[in-house]
Amino acid sequence: MTGPDFSVDRRAASPSRKQLYDAQSVLIVMRPPQAPVQPAAGQPGSRSSFVPTDADMFLAVRDDGSVIAFNGHVDLGTGIGTALAQIVAEELDVPLTRVSIVLGHTNETPNQGPTIASATLQITAVPLRHAAAQARQWLLEQAAMRLGVNVEKLDVRDGIVFERDDANASGSAKRIAYGELIAGQRIELQLTTDAALKDPAAYNIVGKRAPRVDIPAKATGELSFVHDVRVPGMLHGRVVRPPYAGIAQGNFIGNSLLRVDEESIRDMAGIVKVVVIRDFVGIVAEREEIAQQAAKRLDVQWKTTEALPPLDTSEEVEAALRANPAKRRELLIDGDVDAVLSRDPTRTLNRTYVWPFQMHASIGPSCAVADYRDGALKVWSGTQNPHSLRADLALLMGMNEAHIEIVRMDAAGCYGRNCADDVAADAALLSRAAGAPVRVQLSREDEHAWEPKGAAQLMDVRGALSAEGELAAYDFATRYPSNDAPTLALLLTGTLSGEPQVFEMGDRTAVPPYDYEAMRVVCDDTPPIVRASWLRGVSALPNTFAHESFIDELAVEAGADPVEFRLKHLRDPRAADLVKAVAERAGWQPRVREATDANTEAHEQSDQGDIARGRGIAYARYVHSKFPGFGAAWCAWVADVEVNRRSGELAVTRVVVGQDNGTTINPDGVRHQIHGNVIQATSRALKERVTFGGNAVTSQEWGAYPILTFREVPVIDVVMMPRHGEPPMGAGESASLPGAAAIANALYDATGVRFRRPPFTPETIRAALADAQAEKAAARRKKRWRLGFLGAFAAGAAGWLGALSLAPSALAPITPPLASAFAPELIARGKVLASLGNCAVCHTAKNGVPNAGGKPLETPFGTVYSTNITPDAQTGIGAWSLEAFVRAMREGISRDGHRLYPAFPYTSFKNTSDDDLNALYAYLMSQTPVRFRPPETKLPFPFSARPLMAAWNGLFLGRNTFTASATQSAQWNRGAYLVNGLGHCSACHTPRNAFGAEKSGAAFIGGGSAEGWEAPALSSLSNAPVPWTEDELFRYLRFGHAPLHGVAAGPMAPVVADLAALPDSDIRAMATYLASLAPVEPNVDVAAMARQYEAASTINGAPSSVGARLFDGACAACHHTGSGPQLFGAHPSLALNTNLHGATPDNLIRVILDGIGSPARPELGTMPAYRDSFNDAQVAELVSYLRQQFAGGKPAWQNVAASVARIRATASAE
Amino acid sequence: MNGAAPLALKVNGATHVVCASADTPLLYLLRNDLALNGPKFGCGLGECGACTVLLDGMPTRACVTTAKVALGHEITTLEGLGTRAALHPVQQAFIDEQAAQCGYCLSGMIMTTKALLERDPHPSVETICRELSRNLCRCGTHVEIVRAVQRAAELLATQKPVQETADKEARA
Repeated sequence: MTGPDFSVDRRAASPSRKQLYDAQSVLIVMRPPQAPVQPAAGQPGSRSSFVPTDADMFLAVRDDGSVIAFNGHVDLGTGIGTALAQIVAEELDVPLTRVSIVLGHTNETPNQGPTIASATLQITAVPLRHAAAQARQWLLEQAAMRLGVNVEKLDVRDGIVFERDDANASGSAKRIAYGELIAGQRIELQLTTDAALKDPAAYNIVGKRAPRVDIPAKATGELSFVHDVRVPGMLHGRVVRPPYAGIAQGNFIGNSLLRVDEESIRDMAGIVKVVVIRDFVGIVAEREEIAQQAAKRLDVQWKTTEALPPLDTSEEVEAALRANPAKRRELLIDGDVDAVLSRDPTRTLNRTYVWPFQMHASIGPSCAVADYRDGALKVWSGTQNPHSLRADLALLMGMNEAHIEIVRMDAAGCYGRNCADDVAADAALLSRAAGAPVRVQLSREDEHAWEPKGAAQLMDVRGALSAEGELAAYDFATRYPSNDAPTLALLLTGTLSGEPQVFEMGDRTAVPPYDYEAMRVVCDDTPPIVRASWLRGVSALPNTFAHESFIDELAVEAGADPVEFRLKHLRDPRAADLVKAVAERAGWQPRVREATDANTEAHEQSDQGDIARGRGIAYARYVHSKFPGFGAAWCAWVADVEVNRRSGELAVTRVVVGQDNGTTINPDGVRHQIHGNVIQATSRALKERVTFGGNAVTSQEWGAYPILTFREVPVIDVVMMPRHGEPPMGAGESASLPGAAAIANALYDATGVRFRRPPFTPETIRAALADAQAEKAAARRKKRWRLGFLGAFAAGAAGWLGALSLAPSALAPITPPLASAFAPELIARGKVLASLGNCAVCHTAKNGVPNAGGKPLETPFGTVYSTNITPDAQTGIGAWSLEAFVRAMREGISRDGHRLYPAFPYTSFKNTSDDDLNALYAYLMSQTPVRFRPPETKLPFPFSARPLMAAWNGLFLGRNTFTASATQSAQWNRGAYLVNGLGHCSACHTPRNAFGAEKSGAAFIGGGSAEGWEAPALSSLSNAPVPWTEDELFRYLRFGHAPLHGVAAGPMAPVVADLAALPDSDIRAMATYLASLAPVEPNVDVAAMARQYEAASTINGAPSSVGARLFDGACAACHHTGSGPQLFGAHPSLALNTNLHGATPDNLIRVILDGIGSPARPELGTMPAYRDSFNDAQVAELVSYLRQQFAGGKPAWQNVAASVARIRATASAE
Repeated sequence: MNGAAPLALKVNGATHVVCASADTPLLYLLRNDLALNGPKFGCGLGECGACTVLLDGMPTRACVTTAKVALGHEITTLEGLGTRAALHPVQQAFIDEQAAQCGYCLSGMIMTTKALLERDPHPSVETICRELSRNLCRCGTHVEIVRAVQRAAELLATQKPVQETADKEARA
């Protein structure tokens, strides 16, 4: 631990239940300890029968007038804590600010089951309200005694009881505060439900705006979130999940680990423990970044597991759902549906709707802190179900629930069950193994891949109209793969088997709200296909999508206006009121259209060119819990859309949304929930679909799972139905239900095409609209550029062997000279020259001592390890005389006479002047000697025969010899000397022949390779879209960033970093020389050219391909062209980037896989690596898109996926 | 990780020395070594903006910014803007507009807004949406956030003359 320890308790905590129980001067309302309510069969929830020893406390009023209320549910970001405080404050008549709410903490709050189904206000708030009423009643009775006034004459305001008639008599003694009534007593009331509740007509607090109690802390960085919990001695954990990401049923679960090689991270300092329990693998480290790195590096081998069915397309999802074994439940049989359906086949519709797998997609990946000690476990968690989690942890750890405490902290909004429980269990296991508190933070990839998904769903509907156009029959079958997602560690450790459990969860809002003559509603319960849990509007949202799309189709069949048609058949008067109110606010004009084919010209008058506009309505009431369930709020949407028929782009421009949630507790809170539901439901309808590949979820970051952004948010107009006094209804998810159907109906209104398979991406819309032609790039063949390294060297080599009569001789070793033997100025000059030569770049191993060698350099002939060039006599160059050094630099011969490979660029260094070699020698010999023997270079035969290099030198050493030009300026000559001497630019930037020698003539500096990267041509062969000018070259070499070309990355980044040692004049000279190799035509305006390229590559409209979406979500925050934020660092224009214009995608692939962790200059900023976030197919999609979008019409690269696989197989350059 | 060394970071007006590899993401140093809660881990890829802090006033994604990059720059986190007792106008505006549901993205939104309003004191809605387009919010708080940015612009506009006067007085 290098960081300080910080206690978790930084905010003033409320007294605990125990303290309140033991306190004097307190009124408490409680209930004897009791066993938890067992969930109904087929429903989620804990099976625990744990009975706590302490009584459940609901409310405490203290003698200072403060009130503490306890609720077993948690605040998932909906502001429920504020609403509950309002209910308590109202019923007790105390100011809202005096009430604090304790939520979810297992040692404090009653077990009221999981926080699901928007049921907190509707169900779990009820006992709290009764408790407050009971407390108020007792206090009034006390006051009546004390004041000697009949209780009927008393009233309360702000926690002060007063005689009603006496209210205006100032100074009257006939008033007393709650605190005074409680002082000196301990009052314990058993919770009952018979105290009179306040008349809603008298409400002062409920129904009024109340600011959320948690926002100031969150806006200032105070402790709120589980992510911010720090406990003394805390270590950091990361988990390594199995490759079957996101799948949690099957006999391979918990049985797939082959081997964990701890040696693979042995060299990392700060690792505390590697924990392996069957398929559970975790790492504990002292620091978070170490745990994170170690989790990436740890070598873990897994068995291959059975494949998922294909789930790429909606049709495949449908096939997988149909193929899953199902058990049918008949929910509602009303009349003889089959008979009615067969009456008139021409009036019968048969439709299938398919909902995709979606994600909770919390912005913060789940996190937990666990502290296991002395047989007790304390966990800080963002769980949705603290009491269920406690039972899970007891099972996992073999503990009694009495010894487990869950402290519920805020977490990132999830709207269902994400990985919060999983990570709590991970932390518990790691804490016990490490013997210390452990914080586990899931990675983005962990969370995306493993969070239990919102299940896909299949709805088959048959329906018919009567001859009169009335609703005749509705035959509805919904099929929902189960969403039991046992806490992952229970499965991975083998505590629970991977046998799938089947829940009965597909029946929410399965019955349509319309009055059909005959109806049959069935639910097919099927086991999970992928790991799934409940997600906002669980099963009700897809069911509503089907009901409300279908009724729209029937309205068209009936030739009726969709609003009028609904109103005619809605059974529930509150629903009808709502639909009317929403239609009125939206300014709904009756729209009757005939059922048409997609591409008739019968579109709306408002159409302009490619843009079609439409409007749709949908209505639903969310019915939660097991069928028949409880109704929550009523909701209706009118959505306006604009769709571009050519591009398929869809925008939801305005949503009028109405809700009837009974009594509104906090209007602001409800309004925000409605906004949130509208935005999230729009996002789900337009964009969201989990992708799968092979055996796993492949949506592992925001590019592969995009959600709605600011620029796509519709104008939202909220209609809140005045229902004060009616029971409050859950408002957390109702408003999401009608969204997809309203949008689909609006799409139909705009285009005449029905969309029954969300998400409505541009591709699906374009494909469905027959007149939209998908652009097909002609498959232009381009011969792949390859380095033509041949094995032919061996054949020709034999003949040369005869020429090798004279091997070079060893030069006598010397005693290493003292640094003081060299003039300081000489050493200083040598140091600059060493930077120019980038000596340390190659002669330093990763994390090694500078210049001590050992860096592996990949060549076509094998791996060459760089040597130690510190002045150590035994392992370095300490015994080298100046003569030996100069010979090595100019002839490639080591002091002992063995020949060096031209990976050491003596072919360039030979051009260095005596003076400069002298200075470089002085510098190198004055370094601190390091005793380190790098690995020996062992090339395969024949390259292992170093004497062959004599022949090689005979052929090639004479090439590219620099001589000063009398016709050029001094600056040019200086540049040429630097570039072609120690700078050895050509070593990477010139192609090599079959013998590994730089080509000459026109090929000089015409593009080569370095460490697997393409080193672009600096000559007229350059692929750069905009020619390099001297100024751009100067900026690039000086600052690592040329605005019209890009940044130095890959092996060039450290080169530029080294060049920082050179004066501007030398950099300018190099630029002058290099610019002369590819002179720019005098009339060319490079800035204008650049603008043209950028303009041509401007992205218009929404991303409409996989690659475009990946770019938009993953890359565009930095690489946007004016459409995003201004961020720190260089954000190179991709349109001008040479790598996008090159012959091969290799550099681009490398930079995507490995990022730019070490920029040439820090101020350029870094780029993250996507190796662990994208699979090969995704990188290929992205790369192909980038080429198409930014490379100015250059032909597509071929076989990109194969290149990605090849490059991925090479080690990261970092 | 090898290569841990003392690193001097200038955070919220003070210099803090932490011992870590210079390749460590700035976010971990701010959160774990300096116990700052404002910047949040969201994606580790610079995609979502939850970790946004300011480097010399420019927003940066602390999850992909290494310590090496941050050295020498003035780093500002949410905590550096203001406290509950002395709120920065942007924080005040977000509280006024109740611009949070779960609040996990809030710090990133506030920091990005701070930088935007420094550059453009009166941004259009279009500009606000563009600037925040790469800060993701799952709860759908976008409407309230846009209002908060507009309110922040108003608060800054009304407070600025006061501040300038105070500055003048201070100089005098």
